[in-house]
Amino acid sequence: MNTQFKQETFRDDYTYTNSAEAIRRFPFPFAEDEYMYSVNIEMHGEGTGAAGSVFEHGIDVDEHYIAECEDRRIVLDEDPDRYTALPHMMDAQWDMVELMMDSLSKDYPEHFQLQKDGDNWHWVNKPLGIDQTFVFGDEATLPMQPFEYISRQVQGDWIILDQRDDDLFADMGMVTSQADWSMAFDAGMSFKEWHGPVPQANEIGIFDRALKYLLHLQYGSPVRRLNWTMTINPRLDTSPENYPFWGPDNASVTPENVGDKVYLRVELQALFRLPRSNAIAFSVRGYLISLNELITYPRWGKRLHRVLKQLHPDLSEYKGLDNYRQTVIDFLAPLDDGADLGLGTHPE
Amino acid sequence: MERGYWIRSKPLYDSLVWRQFATGHVVVAQGDGGLAVLKLFQQMCPREPIKLLFADDKSASKKYADIIQTLVPEGLQICESEQAALAALKEQLPDCLMGTQFYVAGSEEFIWAVLEVLKEYGVQDNNVAKELCGTLARSVYCVHCKTISKDVHFSIHECDGCRRHLFVRDHFSRRLGAYMGVMVDAEEPGNIPAKEEIYP
Repeated sequence: MNTQFKQETFRDDYTYTNSAEAIRRFPFPFAEDEYMYSVNIEMHGEGTGAAGSVFEHGIDVDEHYIAECEDRRIVLDEDPDRYTALPHMMDAQWDMVELMMDSLSKDYPEHFQLQKDGDNWHWVNKPLGIDQTFVFGDEATLPMQPFEYISRQVQGDWIILDQRDDDLFADMGMVTSQADWSMAFDAGMSFKEWHGPVPQANEIGIFDRALKYLLHLQYGSPVRRLNWTMTINPRLDTSPENYPFWGPDNASVTPENVGDKVYLRVELQALFRLPRSNAIAFSVRGYLISLNELITYPRWGKRLHRVLKQLHPDLSEYKGLDNYRQTVIDFLAPLDDGADLGLGTHPE
Repeated sequence: MERGYWIRSKPLYDSLVWRQFATGHVVVAQGDGGLAVLKLFQQMCPREPIKLLFADDKSASKKYADIIQTLVPEGLQICESEQAALAALKEQLPDCLMGTQFYVAGSEEFIWAVLEVLKEYGVQDNNVAKELCGTLARSVYCVHCKTISKDVHFSIHECDGCRRHLFVRDHFSRRLGAYMGVMVDAEEPGNIPAKEEIYP
């Protein structure tokens, strides 16, 4: 892989764009014309995705890597509580150091290198210019808590779920690019509490089944699913904390600017069992694509048009689309000739 | 408060009933929680030692301390205030045995203040019987400035910290003992719906 890392922003002047290659590999989530929640879990990690796709590796690194890490740094400077770790999670912190360093150095050896001499580890992150020796298991040898240290060097949010009493508790997290939920508020919550505000899903039994499945997740067999929402501007930090700053954007969409301003935000959610702590790492990696970028593949434009037209009103409200959904539908309608698209998420 | 919009993080409160298989019982109540205490003591009392900490509250509909005093023969401690009851609980806890059962009755704010004290001793939320009494008032955590406003009765609340108008979401954190408050007019500044008293 010879990725060119881009210099771009996810705030203020919003210079974020996708290259043709990034558009082609975008994880478009709609395999059918109708959308409703489903558990939709499949295997993740080595051998589960095509070469070059976002599913090729356990942790995807793409052209936005440096810019996303920088955006995370800005968020944490303003609000350190976006990183939360309850005290009993130290084993899981080291699990995460191992998972992330092993995965990145194996999958992207030209960018990341890891040498282990017993517990003496040497970590090199070339894109971010980091060269660190430390003792695995000894907090004092890193400049900050182990999980904060390593999660500042990956894309996407990471929530670490402690497993006890047949339930999962969100007891640790690095959450700087979330779609309107708060780690500071949800810290310590059980699986069902944490999903409390999601409409419709309880009624169809999603959470009972998903929880049962996750409690039996095995080490070495990670899984994934896709989730989605829409965002105005390529903004990663759509947190409730900063809603006063990004909320007004939701009322700024017009027929003239809709193609550039409205983004489909797809979350690649992956779950990994951790070996020491028996916790589960839940990664939520967001991919952003503007409508204008998306409709370069007409099949995707037509599909999105149909999905938005028939979206359940509760989901539309929960995802915060009500202010601009009709404008998006009107924008996409002329592109949809009604042709049968068949099953599948492929672009062409 | 839409139909079908049932919120799982919202705690369920029950009526207090003595629990079996205990080494002891500790009851903590405040204000209108006095009525829950009286109902509890009308049930057949367990054999194990009982401790009761009670504080009247001026906003409660009735004073219960005198009635409780006549009906609870031993183990009763009447406290001057909610804070005094929490302090008394802290004092008692080191003497409690493994297997002690806990019971709390009063406002939601009080219930979770008691849970906060118990948590330090490893007592889990699901091992504590809780009865909500007297008021549905909510504590509201401002997700923007992190201030917790107490005793909130209306659907929209002006944050005690940043003065933003917050919509009170039906999303509750046991750790914070509060509901989430989110700026109501973020998308259209100044467009603030009329507030309704829905937590009397």
